Amino acid sequence: MSVATEVPTFLPRDRFDDLLQALAAGGRRVVGPTVADGAIVFADLERAADLPAGLTLATAPGRARLEPLPAGPGARRTFQYTVSGEGIKKFTFPSRVDALSMTTDLAGTVRVKVEAPAEPVPLAVVGARACDLAALAVHDRVLIGGPAVDPDYAARRSDLLVVAVECALASSTCFCATMGTGPEVTTGADLVLAELDDGFVVRAPSAAGGRIVESLGLAPAAPERVGKAAAQTAAARVAMGTDAIPANARDLLLANLEHPRWEAIAERCIACANCTLVCPTCFCTGQTVTSGFDGVTSTAARTWDSCFTDGFTQVAGGNFRPRHQDRYRQWMTHKFATWFDQFGTSGCIGCGRCVAWCPVGIDVRAELTAFAATAPAVAAVPLRDRGTLQPLAPPAPDALDFRRATVVSITPETADTSPLRLVTDDPAILAGTPGQFVMVGVPAFAIPPISISRYHPDGIELTIRAAGAATSFLTRLRPGATLGLRGPLGRGWPVETAHGRDVVIVAGGIGLAPLRPVIDAVLRDRAKFADVRIYLGARTPRERLFVDEIEALAAREDVLVRVTVDRAGPEWLGRVGIVTQLFKTVRGTGTDATAFICGPERMMAATATTLGDLGVPPEHMWLTLERHMECGVGLCGHCQFGSRFVCRDGPVFSAAELGDDLRREGL
Amino acid sequence: MDVAVRASAAAATAEDAGHGRATARRRPRVGVVKFASCDGCQLTILDVEDHLLEIAERFDIVEFAEATSRRSSGPFDVLLVEGSISTPEQAVEIARLRAEAKLLVVIGACATAGGIQALRTAAEHEAFRAAVYPVPAYVDSLATARPVADFVQVDAELRGCPISPEQLVELLVSLTTGRRPQLPDQAVCLECKRRGIPCVVVARGLPCLGPVTRTGCGAICPAFGRGCYGCFGPRENANTAGYAQALVTGDAAAGADGRGRDPVDVGRLFAGFTGATQPFRSVTDSLAGRPPVTLRPTLASPPETLRAGPPTWGPAPSAPEAPSAAAAKEAPDGPRQ
Repeated sequence: MSVATEVPTFLPRDRFDDLLQALAAGGRRVVGPTVADGAIVFADLERAADLPAGLTLATAPGRARLEPLPAGPGARRTFQYTVSGEGIKKFTFPSRVDALSMTTDLAGTVRVKVEAPAEPVPLAVVGARACDLAALAVHDRVLIGGPAVDPDYAARRSDLLVVAVECALASSTCFCATMGTGPEVTTGADLVLAELDDGFVVRAPSAAGGRIVESLGLAPAAPERVGKAAAQTAAARVAMGTDAIPANARDLLLANLEHPRWEAIAERCIACANCTLVCPTCFCTGQTVTSGFDGVTSTAARTWDSCFTDGFTQVAGGNFRPRHQDRYRQWMTHKFATWFDQFGTSGCIGCGRCVAWCPVGIDVRAELTAFAATAPAVAAVPLRDRGTLQPLAPPAPDALDFRRATVVSITPETADTSPLRLVTDDPAILAGTPGQFVMVGVPAFAIPPISISRYHPDGIELTIRAAGAATSFLTRLRPGATLGLRGPLGRGWPVETAHGRDVVIVAGGIGLAPLRPVIDAVLRDRAKFADVRIYLGARTPRERLFVDEIEALAAREDVLVRVTVDRAGPEWLGRVGIVTQLFKTVRGTGTDATAFICGPERMMAATATTLGDLGVPPEHMWLTLERHMECGVGLCGHCQFGSRFVCRDGPVFSAAELGDDLRREGL
Repeated sequence: MDVAVRASAAAATAEDAGHGRATARRRPRVGVVKFASCDGCQLTILDVEDHLLEIAERFDIVEFAEATSRRSSGPFDVLLVEGSISTPEQAVEIARLRAEAKLLVVIGACATAGGIQALRTAAEHEAFRAAVYPVPAYVDSLATARPVADFVQVDAELRGCPISPEQLVELLVSLTTGRRPQLPDQAVCLECKRRGIPCVVVARGLPCLGPVTRTGCGAICPAFGRGCYGCFGPRENANTAGYAQALVTGDAAAGADGRGRDPVDVGRLFAGFTGATQPFRSVTDSLAGRPPVTLRPTLASPPETLRAGPPTWGPAPSAPEAPSAAAAKEAPDGPRQ
């Protein structure tokens, strides 16, 4: 540590250019606040003259207007505002990153190339505030804290020099003091500036910062300057207060997920997504696939996405959050409640950007306070027990890499569903467990998650229903074609927890596909399980899957198989009705049973209710959720279901783990 | 009405994307026609300079009066239709063209939303005619100018005034590769934020339709310090009532005095190139104190030209054809496959 770290020094205003030059030494890119488009915009900072001198940013809900500083000795200050609309996120987590490219050669061989992470560009950021640094720490936890790591963020983060500025005032939208993140800069900075009328008090908390101070040959700051700097930050703290939001915000939100206030907010909320995109901790991304006219090359770019958009939770069968109130509830509960469960910290750092840059001026502080006013006494909601939700197989560090697999055969099962038999020599995929899934990449198409419907010694089967363009294409592949697989991903069915117990398998429609490896595993070790019963539902007789296999199972003495269809024609002599009606004709499943359920969400909820009535304990009922997924490893944010990432914590959950959320609308 | 291209809009087989590529395939026959419109979208087609050769190589452009004297009255594999339906003759002609087209794509604000001429929908048609034309009897126009989808089944739409060249190329590429074109339906705001354009509502107090307008333009107007005027039409689930209310109360885009805007002015903001769409029109009507109007009545009967399957140039797929996007939407939530 350099001696400069101990003693505050003074940088006269006319020497700020020297600081910029010192930062730029060795080719480092220097960025900081500038004025552009009527706002403060972080951009390349070549001269001190580029800084927003003599300006402040007057913020209020829905407002952030540049205004001249009042005349006086401080009229030429350059950091006399708090946060701009965009923080430093656009440098560490850019709005668009090329993620991968895919090509197919004339022989039909797919090559998937995961784009190398950005070259670590040495970067110096001038003018980050305490809240920005708190946000950076949150992103570190989310994006490189594991289990999966975002390589692009890791590269950009690896050589970052931070020159922080301690706020000399608080805007009306600031609440960092409530969130415990500011206004004092305590961690994460290499240099900390506190601006006075004639210059800057400089602290150098890191060795790198100390070397810069040394190179500038700065003199120690006079005690009165140090005192004045501390006093203005202390005044900013007082101005903000420390009670901007209720202390029990998390409990309030989780206890009021069905509160009428959500609907009232949705009448004002225009779901423009601005709050999420200015938020320095929001990390959700989507993939945009572009391809050439040849159809054999394509690029997938990762772009900022938002839980306020319709496509965010869209799957082929529908949308999980169709209403604005569902989306607002997701955003607010994620920031103030479920983030704690996911990452052990708040998702809000109190910068107030979402307040100022909401075009219609919705103020999260006011909304949280309103919840407190209408539901004053709520019990503390314990943090989700992460112990039961740890993935069985955490994603490997190279979880974003694709492996090649070759199509051996494809045999249509129904009008729209075909099992795809693939061979691969990838040991990780071959070692997958029942209920895990893979992301399937072919050029020009989005990359869908597909569950593995059988394991073979030399490969796997994927049962594909042509529900969208990508899956339609997959069902038309021919033997010999190759595709890219990323996986196996997720936490599968805990088949071994059913050892010594009765096994009840309930599948609706194509829900049989993810359960097929469970059936395989149970039959392989048949002696380890007591009664085995399989209940299958399909919409029509024609839509039944794996008919021959199921008939062979039904012929066995040691397995009970029951099949029903929703609608039947004259050729069908079996049962007609929904799958839950099958249990009523079968005696006593009960407390000694473990159930594995897969089908449409409503069917699974109904099945869980019926089985619960028959005595099956919720911790022994397992079901698998479908959600929109872009990454499969907990980085893109799309598949969130309350505090869970379906891709990483599931897709298989017990009914006990899901609790009331299983039947909650719009989650 | 958002019309996505049917799930497998172009009958791409596995071969199409390079899995043992077929050769000597017939190029799809493409027509470009117009109704009541300014031709700006057709000019945008000519404006995709970097891609024109590829397009000409892969598509057989048999009708495009703006570009070639070669003419065809059909049939078409793909028909791009510009303009709204404004006269009785046009209503007959679009039905004929629909029957000739395997895939009908409407392009631009006029064809998708009625265009600026659809403002007459909210006025007295006869009074308009009398005010504009010396001898109104010579003019045979419908009382309303309406989007093509009000008359015939539409398979896909490109929005905007004019359309975006990037989206046009995306559509054509998706036709050749058999994938669904990526035409986002979210708000312009996302594009502003990705581009780093400061919000003109918050930073400048400008009324901007970006929050309720579909992106695709690249946020051109805010990039030049202007409010979006909504030429791409309503985004998905546009809360136009909530946004208009905020503009009136001053919660959004308040002036220096913190006050909101005159309700009639706010209504006019929504009455632009796509002002005849339901989410925009309902705001204009309600702020002007007019009774609400239901636009785009459901078609009385499905057009005869509605076909179940995708177009079938090139080799036929061996596997059964995919269900349409509409059918997929109707299906109950399936589990992950």
